[in-house]
Amino acid sequence: MATDTQLQVTLVTPERILFDTTAASVDLPSRTGRIEVLPGHAPLVAELGAGDVTLQGSTLETTRWNVSWGFVEVLPNRVTILANDAVAPAAIDVDAARQQLEHAHSLWNAAGDDAEAYDAANHVLEEAQARLASAENPAS
Amino acid sequence: MANVLDLRRRIRSVKSTRQITRAMKMVSAAKLRRAQDRALAARPYAQRIASVLASLKRRIEVLDPETGNLRHPLFAVRPEKRILLVIISGDKGFAGAFNTNILKASHQFLALCEDKEVDIEAIGRKARDQMRRRYGVATHDVVQSENPADGSPLTHHVRRRKSRIEVVGDHPGLLEKLNHRVVRELAEEIIRRYTHAEIDACYVVYNEFKSVIQQRVVTERLLPLIEPGSHVIVGATEQTAEERQYAATVAAEAGISPFAEDTSEADEEAARFGTSDVDYIYEQPATELLNGLLPSYVAAMLFHSLAESVAAEHAARMTAMDAATNNASEMIDSLTLYMNRVRQAAITKEIIEIVSGAAAL
Repeated sequence: MATDTQLQVTLVTPERILFDTTAASVDLPSRTGRIEVLPGHAPLVAELGAGDVTLQGSTLETTRWNVSWGFVEVLPNRVTILANDAVAPAAIDVDAARQQLEHAHSLWNAAGDDAEAYDAANHVLEEAQARLASAENPAS
Repeated sequence: MANVLDLRRRIRSVKSTRQITRAMKMVSAAKLRRAQDRALAARPYAQRIASVLASLKRRIEVLDPETGNLRHPLFAVRPEKRILLVIISGDKGFAGAFNTNILKASHQFLALCEDKEVDIEAIGRKARDQMRRRYGVATHDVVQSENPADGSPLTHHVRRRKSRIEVVGDHPGLLEKLNHRVVRELAEEIIRRYTHAEIDACYVVYNEFKSVIQQRVVTERLLPLIEPGSHVIVGATEQTAEERQYAATVAAEAGISPFAEDTSEADEEAARFGTSDVDYIYEQPATELLNGLLPSYVAAMLFHSLAESVAAEHAARMTAMDAATNNASEMIDSLTLYMNRVRQAAITKEIIEIVSGAAAL
């Protein structure tokens, strides 16, 4: 269980709970930038962007997960991450991510002055970029 | 009178049918177990999303003072003139009355929408095929225009409605490999159509599945949202007592608990998500958070319906195949009895012939 120096971290995807573990700190990609959460953090609800969630000081085998979109709730001793999609970097299909990137570029070009289509294209683009960056990052 | 050889052949054929139905029953039982686990595993996410939504309602800036509800296009209630009906059936038959029940509920619903325009989004091959045959597929005109940014050609598809009820969309293989990503795309498409006022309401017909003995075919309203976290059921058909009892026996044989798993502890934990009695810092403005939450919520609801429907389909197939196996066994028994009689009759006839032949000497 979480103590004063430990956080209880849960990663939940629409399909299942990926892990529920303790860690010393968590690094999260929020929509507006990265946040690092240490025990005793102020209560926070934030929207999640696309990027890597990194755990420090946990007993898990994989401590880095690529997540895209969702929400996070931070309480002083507990962090719950609701991610729309989460994969271990080793399980990322690099070819599929590249294809997604290309697809995103074509969406981007076809968006014209439709703000909604433009946002949607950006969404796909960021996700693909985060995936590729995560797969290519050797430190895991 | 049929001869022994013919009967033996028929028995052999029924036996091989029984083997197939028995195998199908076993496969369905295994698939049911997996589908049940998956439906259960998907719950924590859906519940947490619903609880953040509920807690956001406490924030004054997103509340609409007129309706006392959240201020968002998905909460806008309009007179229902155009309806989107999502029908979730199975891909394959051999599942007893499963598909028939779904289609019956859909037709009941359609009969109620007398003067409304209805678009049908059919998931599962069975519903798609029948609805397409009966109502026809929506047609689109291709319109060319220029991209105002760089003058490159753009193609648009403009819907041309031919009849009051039409089938839109096609989702082959969605049920076979239930994947949240695809479901989310579907949910986003439904949301897009709702916010653009292409539809005024969205209903889903599916087989709710709590456990093998707690099932019903329901018609649920997905949009507009009124009270996040609750289900708006507009029509439901319960299992009959007979069906329930039989399903329970079959499930017990296959080692599947007929009762829903106790998840109250996990439920309680999920309900606390984002609702702690503390003053949260909201990193994004509450309205923005809401814009991100609602699609996730709708997608989770849809995913939940799909996962339950898949479990229900396997349960229905398991029961149907058990019944088929039993029928085959009965048929084999009666055929064997008949065959023995025929054989005995032939022997008796031969003996009589021999005896009367001997007596004539």
